[in-house]
Amino acid sequence: MNATAVLTIVGLVLFATLLGLLWRWRTGRVETSRDTRVDLPEISADASATLLQFSTAVCAPCKPTRVLLASLADEYAGVEHVDIDLTHRADLAARFNILQTPTTLLLDGGGVVRGRIGGAPRAHDLRAALEILLDTRHTDRTPS
Amino acid sequence: MSASSTSPVGIDPRSPRFGAGITAVLLLVVIGLALSGADLAAAWLLVAIAALFAWGAFRGIRKHPYGAIFRRLIRPRLSPPTELEDPTPPTFAQGVGLFVVVVGLVLHVLGVPLALVVAAAAAFLAAFLNSVFAYCLGCQLYLLLVRAGALRRKVPPRAPGVA
Repeated sequence: MNATAVLTIVGLVLFATLLGLLWRWRTGRVETSRDTRVDLPEISADASATLLQFSTAVCAPCKPTRVLLASLADEYAGVEHVDIDLTHRADLAARFNILQTPTTLLLDGGGVVRGRIGGAPRAHDLRAALEILLDTRHTDRTPS
Repeated sequence: MSASSTSPVGIDPRSPRFGAGITAVLLLVVIGLALSGADLAAAWLLVAIAALFAWGAFRGIRKHPYGAIFRRLIRPRLSPPTELEDPTPPTFAQGVGLFVVVVGLVLHVLGVPLALVVAAAAAFLAAFLNSVFAYCLGCQLYLLLVRAGALRRKVPPRAPGVA
């Protein structure tokens, strides 16, 4: 192998590692937003907060995300979890500018988008955002 | 090999990541060969990689030879998986890999310079990220295809017309 080949391979591995670290750093964080109101029939008007998950069938982290969000919805009274498969809802992907799955929108009681999570959510961050949103008396949480 | 049912049974998520690691290394070998002037060897190795991608894409990731290696040599040395994964996402990724590599081979045959290197580099990035960081290619690419309308052909009966 000549020098060009060696340098190309080393450069490629470094570049891929940087991309991976960047991706890992960004994924799953809760970005706060005060966006549009979501008006979908799936969203219950009675919920005090909704975890709106967008998935597809070819998405490996969607299943664990579904489990996490469902358990949060169980744990916090008034929180609902809605999972929408975007495969046949390209209109929704465009409307909410969704570029990856899972993407989770954190909606307040009025259906307004208050947070957005690209990728598998970080449970701790999401819990914190949810508790701020609920402004809760939920302080006696059992240690996990 | 008695997995005969068509219902998706979960796979060990480490299996496709192990396979992607082998693929990533082989793609680096392709790049090394192509940049060292061994174009023919590079092209044939890429053909072999394409055949393996095709195997995974058309027969499903569970039938992939790397999966068999994983089950025989690697998995007995690991703790049991904490969760099982749907085989659809890694199978989709195999199809994407096949597409990229075949485009590279066709362009190479047509005489486009560096086609092998560029295609192998693109496939390497995806395979490396998948293997090392558990990056899910289908999570982003599939949605772009959906938004481009390329996947509207397979509407199941339970999805009525969406206004």
